[in-house]
Amino acid sequence: MSGPGVGWYLILSAVVFGTGALGVMLRRSPLIVLLSLELMLNAANLALIAFARQQGDLDGQVFALAVMAVAAAEVAIGLGLIVALARRDLPLDVDQASALKG
Amino acid sequence: MIDTPKVDWFALGPTLALLGASGVALLASVLVPAWMRKGVAAGLAFLGFALAAILGGAVFAETASPETTIAGSMVQDRLGAFAQVVVGAIGAIVVLVSWAEPRRSHRGEYYALLAAAGAGMVFFVTASNLMTLFLGLEWFSLCLYVLVAYDTHRARSLEAGLKYLIVGGFGSAILLFGSALVYGATGELGFAEIAAAGAGSDPFLVAGLAMVLGGLAFKVSAAPFHMWTPDVYQGSPSSVTSFMSAATKVAAMLVLLRVLTTAFPEEREIWTVAVAVLAAVSLVWGNLAAFAQRDVKRLLAFSSVSHAGFMLVAVAAGTEAGAEALLYYLVPYAAMSVGAFAVVAARERELGRDVSLEDLAGLGWERPLLGLSLWVFMLGFAGFPLTGGMFGKLFVFTAAYEAGDWWLVVLGVLATAVSIAYYLNVVRWLYMRTGADLGVALAGGSPPRDAALEVAVALTVLVTVGSFFAAQPILDAAADAARSLPF
Repeated sequence: MSGPGVGWYLILSAVVFGTGALGVMLRRSPLIVLLSLELMLNAANLALIAFARQQGDLDGQVFALAVMAVAAAEVAIGLGLIVALARRDLPLDVDQASALKG
Repeated sequence: MIDTPKVDWFALGPTLALLGASGVALLASVLVPAWMRKGVAAGLAFLGFALAAILGGAVFAETASPETTIAGSMVQDRLGAFAQVVVGAIGAIVVLVSWAEPRRSHRGEYYALLAAAGAGMVFFVTASNLMTLFLGLEWFSLCLYVLVAYDTHRARSLEAGLKYLIVGGFGSAILLFGSALVYGATGELGFAEIAAAGAGSDPFLVAGLAMVLGGLAFKVSAAPFHMWTPDVYQGSPSSVTSFMSAATKVAAMLVLLRVLTTAFPEEREIWTVAVAVLAAVSLVWGNLAAFAQRDVKRLLAFSSVSHAGFMLVAVAAGTEAGAEALLYYLVPYAAMSVGAFAVVAARERELGRDVSLEDLAGLGWERPLLGLSLWVFMLGFAGFPLTGGMFGKLFVFTAAYEAGDWWLVVLGVLATAVSIAYYLNVVRWLYMRTGADLGVALAGGSPPRDAALEVAVALTVLVTVGSFFAAQPILDAAADAARSLPF
C-alpha cells in the first residue's frame, strides 16, 4: 500500500467527526447543523474506506457507498423541513424552536 | 465474477409485504379518485401490517435454528420473527388509531409512509451485519422524521420533525463511526464474524462498541440520550407517537440485544456494566421528570424513558433469562403504549389542542370505554396485577437478581413505587373532577364516536390484560426466540 498510513486517515477522520459533532451541538442555524451532520457521516465514510484499504477487502467501501445514499436522503428531508418552517415564517434557529421546551 | 448471493424470499416476506403495501398505497394516493384515497391507502397499510405479522409468525414456526441469508447480511431466526409479529400487530392497530386523524391533505401518503417505516423495522430486526444494521435503522428513521413533521400546519409538529432529524441523525452518525471502528479492529462487518475475529480488548473495538451502544441508546430513548423524546412525542401527531413509542422501542431494543450478544460476547463484562448504568440513569431520570409534567404526552414520554430503563435492566443481565424477560416485557408494554397514546389522540381530537392533565378531567365519565382503558394502561405501566406489566417487571427483576445485579433490582422496585404516584394521578384526573367543573370546552362539541379508534383501544386492552392471563404461551414464544441468541 502506498501513500500515508491508515493512522493519518484515522486522525483526519476523527478531527472531521469532532468538528461535525461540535457543529451539531453548538451552531444554531439548522442549515449549518445539517451540514455538520454530513461531516460526521462522511468522517465515518473516510474511516470505513481507510480501513477497507488496510484490510484489502471491499466491504467497507460498499458500506461507504450505501452511507452516501442515506446521507443524501437525510439531507433531502432536512432541507424539506427547513423550507416548510421558512414558509410558515417560523424562526430558523435551533435554539429558538421554543414552542417545544427541551 | 462475483457469485450471486442466495436470496431467501421467505425470510424477506414480512419486509416485502410491507414494502409492497407502501408502494401500492403511494401509487393509490395519487391515482385513485380523491374521495377514496384515504380508505384505499389505509386498507393497504392495514393489510400489509397484518400480512407482515402473519408471515413473521410463519417464519417463527418454520425456523428452528438461526440461519443467515443474502451473503450473511440478514439472519432468519425466531428472535427477528418474534419482533416482526409484534411490530406488524402494532402497525395494524396504529392504522386504526390514525383513521380519524383530522387531516386536510396527503391523507393517502401518510399510510404509505407508515407502512414503509414498518418495513424498515421488520428488516432492521433481522440485520446481521453492521451495514444492514445501519441501513435498516436509517430506513425506518427517515420515514419517521417525515411522519413526525406530517402536520405541517402545526409549528410544533415541524419543529419536532427537525429536532428528531437532528438528534436522530447525530445518533446514527455515532453508530456509524462506531461501526467503522469495529470494522477497523476486526476487518469484519458480520456480527458472528466480529465475535469470531476475537480482537480481544483492542481499543478500537471497545471504542466502537461504546459508540454503537450510544447510537442505539438514542433510538431506544434511554437516558441520558433521551433529550429528544418528550419534545418529539409531544410535537408529532398522536397516532405517530403511538407507533414510535411502541414499534421503534421494540425494534431497537431487540437489535441492541442482538448486537451485544452476537457480536460482542467476549466484551460482556464491559457492556453489561455500561447497559446497567444506562438503565439506572433512565429509571431515575425518567421517573423523576415524569412528576413535573402537566402535558399528558410528555408525561407518557418520560414514562417511556423509564420503561426503557426496565428493559435495559433485562439486557444488562446478559443472560438468556434476561433476553426472555425483555421479549415478554415488550408485548404488554407495546400494547399499553399504543393504547395510552390512542386515548390521548381521541381527547386531542375532541378538544382540538394538546391535552394536559386538567384536560382529562371527566373523560372517565364522558367516554367510559376510553377512561377505563386509560385506567388499565396506567395500572399496567405501574405493574399492577391483572395486567401483563406486572409479570414483565417480575421477570425482569428475577433475571437481574439471578445475574447478580441486585442493586438494579432495588432501584427498579423503588422506581416502580415512585411511578405509581404519577400513573395514579392520571387516573385521578380521569374520574375525580368533571370537565364542566374546570370549564374544559369541547372544540365544536363532541365529535361522533370514532369506532376504529375504539376497536384499536379495545384490542390493546385485550393484549394488556391477556398477557397476564395467558403469560405462559407468550413466555414460551419468548424463550424460543431467546434461544436463537448465543449465550
